Amino acid sequence: MQANNRFRLFSISSVWLWLGLFALLPNLALFLVSFLDRGETDFFIPVFTLDNYSRLLDPAFIRIFWDSMYLASISTLVCLLLGYPFAYLLARSSKRMRPWLMLLVVVPFWTNSLIRTYALIIILKTQGLINKLFIWLGLADGPFSLMYSDFAVFMGLTYTLLPFMILPLYASIEKLDVRLLDAAKDLGAGTLRSFWHVTLPLTLPGIVAGSILVFLPALGTFYVPEILGGATNMLLGTFIKNQFLVARDWPLGAAASTILTLLLVLLALIYRMSSRKAAETPLTEKGKKKGAADA
Amino acid sequence: MRKKLPYAYMWLVYAFLYIPILVVIIFSFNNARFSTDWNGFTLKWYDLLLKNQPLMDAAVNSLLVAVCAASLATFMGGLAALCIHRYKFTGKKILQGSIYMLTISPDIVMGIALLIFFISIKVELGFITLLIAHVTLAMPFVTLTVLARLSEFNENLIEAARDLGASEVKSFVHVLLPLTAPAVAAGWLLSFTLSLDDVLISFFVTGPSFEVLPLKIYSMVRHGVKPDINALSAIMFGLTLFLVLLAQFLARPKKKFLKED
Amino acid sequence: MKKLALLLSLAFLFAACPDAALAAADKGEVVVYNWSEYIPQDVLDEFTDETGIKVVYSTYETNDAMYSKIKLLRGQSYDLVCPSTYYLHLMIEEGLVTTFDHAKLTNLGNLDPKLMAPPYDPENKFSIPYMWGSFGMIINTKYVDREKAKTWRDLLRPEYKGKVILSDDMRDTFGIAMHAAGKSANSTNPDDIKAGYEFLKELHPSVRVFDLTAVKQAFISEEVIIGTSFNGDALVAKQEHPDLEYIYPEDGALVWIDSFAIPVGAKNVDNAHEFVNFLLRPEIAKRCQEEFMYSTPNLGTIELMSPEERNNPALQPTDKDLQKAEYLLNVGSKTLMLYKDYWEKLKSGF
Repeated sequence: MQANNRFRLFSISSVWLWLGLFALLPNLALFLVSFLDRGETDFFIPVFTLDNYSRLLDPAFIRIFWDSMYLASISTLVCLLLGYPFAYLLARSSKRMRPWLMLLVVVPFWTNSLIRTYALIIILKTQGLINKLFIWLGLADGPFSLMYSDFAVFMGLTYTLLPFMILPLYASIEKLDVRLLDAAKDLGAGTLRSFWHVTLPLTLPGIVAGSILVFLPALGTFYVPEILGGATNMLLGTFIKNQFLVARDWPLGAAASTILTLLLVLLALIYRMSSRKAAETPLTEKGKKKGAADA
Repeated sequence: MRKKLPYAYMWLVYAFLYIPILVVIIFSFNNARFSTDWNGFTLKWYDLLLKNQPLMDAAVNSLLVAVCAASLATFMGGLAALCIHRYKFTGKKILQGSIYMLTISPDIVMGIALLIFFISIKVELGFITLLIAHVTLAMPFVTLTVLARLSEFNENLIEAARDLGASEVKSFVHVLLPLTAPAVAAGWLLSFTLSLDDVLISFFVTGPSFEVLPLKIYSMVRHGVKPDINALSAIMFGLTLFLVLLAQFLARPKKKFLKED
Repeated sequence: MKKLALLLSLAFLFAACPDAALAAADKGEVVVYNWSEYIPQDVLDEFTDETGIKVVYSTYETNDAMYSKIKLLRGQSYDLVCPSTYYLHLMIEEGLVTTFDHAKLTNLGNLDPKLMAPPYDPENKFSIPYMWGSFGMIINTKYVDREKAKTWRDLLRPEYKGKVILSDDMRDTFGIAMHAAGKSANSTNPDDIKAGYEFLKELHPSVRVFDLTAVKQAFISEEVIIGTSFNGDALVAKQEHPDLEYIYPEDGALVWIDSFAIPVGAKNVDNAHEFVNFLLRPEIAKRCQEEFMYSTPNLGTIELMSPEERNNPALQPTDKDLQKAEYLLNVGSKTLMLYKDYWEKLKSGF
């Protein structure tokens, strides 16, 4: 029994130590800086102010925030719609092949993102591969360009973030008990019905994890969307980076970053409430148990 | 037909993932420095690459730190997931929150904050600081993936193992770990990918003695990326694919990769 | 899967081993902080062969990032940095860089007096120019009439709508906007900056791209036909697309110098001097210059050039070309904030 306690103590304390030092401490410092003033030559000076937050009420910032949210949401949705069926098929392929197929999903991402983005330019530009393909198929009669368009931005983001959707989904779908689906079928449920009432609720944790791992990074990216989209609009990631580097206005950058974190807390609360509601529906018996344990 | 259609979809997604890499490989033989048009075949970028020792060193450094960071992040992230899933302890909610906080912290914030931290405790910037930063960056990706797998997981199995007298460590190694293997593997791969591609955090936390590839590549943005990087990418991709196929070949006779149910 | 991971990591470790044990040369090292590949690798190798001093070459993406890191490190860890004009100005003002001993730089006389004694460092105590160039206009002569691209204001012509490229660098783009509005690029007068913003706001609907990479690709594939560019980028792009031409607008280009400077905490100051002195040799400077086709401040190098290169105005501008040109200087944090606010406004469509 003592060994058990020691293991428990070891796990909790090492996780606590790591996250405390490298996650909580920096974010706490950031939170404090967001209430300080900027100096003429220093990155920040110890003078309390709420100015940074009131400066964020500027319509320009709200617009930047909104654009980034929109971009991140749509990319997450596209990744989910593309990734779910793929992860499902991956999880249903032969057991021997599964790890290899999963590995093949990430291998392309070991090539540097900037290099991959340049490759996308070759595909999307005027006289690029897509253009040539369309002319060859007779779908277009002249040169056209997909560069510097919303399409290019979404394609770039989807391409960059897809594995962060597929892998968590795969890990969660893979454990799905096929017998449950069979049971649903035996009870006369159609494919769609059994998907909606059995598969989807059971893989919901995977969907949530994948969406978080796509949405949050998408909210902060700048290189890929800006190179492909032409950077005529500013994104949140650039905004925050610029405060720290270009404008040397750390407190404002810290405030923007804090707002982002608060938004996340809000989203988490909403999710918690909705999942608690979901847990009360009768089909997910286990979910109910877990919900009760959580409460 | 009903059986083939899903596979066609899988192939389509793989094509989407691999066509840009194919383009990179083809253009590593392109006889032009900046053009994105085909200007004839050449091997000169490979020749240039072989003469550029620092670039190759940076690539090796990147791989080294990615392997170590991914492994450590998988360990720490997995442990965090286990703690959150199995134990009740003070500050659990804060711990959980800080994991989410990590995913949303902009890279620049994490980079600068960690640099200030490292300066204040007087650690020399280099491999170790880079490793710590990358583990911190990648950890939540592991934790969230593993937690998603653990949720609604059959608690009875652990209970059964314990009833049979297995210690916490034993039930962890023999029951929980095999059950979460796909998530652990997925987490490792995501961490490896993140570490290999990180620029902004690496910029701040590494020192002059430990240069990594993404820094070198992104630093070329101002003057234009030279095609010897394409050559390097092509070689790295070829090598990875070779290793993957080799590993699959070697592992074949055992027939069992995932000890499941 | 675990075995696979193990196998992969073993393979990588094996690949990593041989380099790890390389010992530093006797004469120590010099730690250079610069853009990636800004000094050709064979030049670095030659320096090491000749002097026995190992060059540790570390890279940054932008002046902004380099400045932040040097400032946080209080000038330690690096022996040489290579900031551009206004960042050098800022670093001198904040005491982040220290002085050169000119007696140790025997090749200093090779440098063009025209580029010495810039306003931010009148005696070149802190900075030795490495490379310089201009930020002017680039056009595709297939689509753009030279007569209709003489000043920055010509960018506003309706026929270029949707075909304009601007730099994503805030100071560079504001610099040319201020020139278009007839103001100094270093003005700290809020009204002048507003005038620059008004110009950019009028131009914004015409802009296809704010480019954060080198502009070359967009011009070569004809996505854009007119815009801003560094002279070197334009020259390199011209090699692959002969219709491109680099122009010095009549209302004034910008001039930049990337100079070497020694951070205050540098450990190998003597080696840093030796390295800079080596790069000041005409034939070495020539090899550096050819890499990116910027202009060299080295008069000896200009003598080594072919007459064709020497008379290429994009490479060696005449005094007339640079008549109204300006260096970008540090404008102080208040003015910078103003720029930044306008920049965000511009990008978010207000």
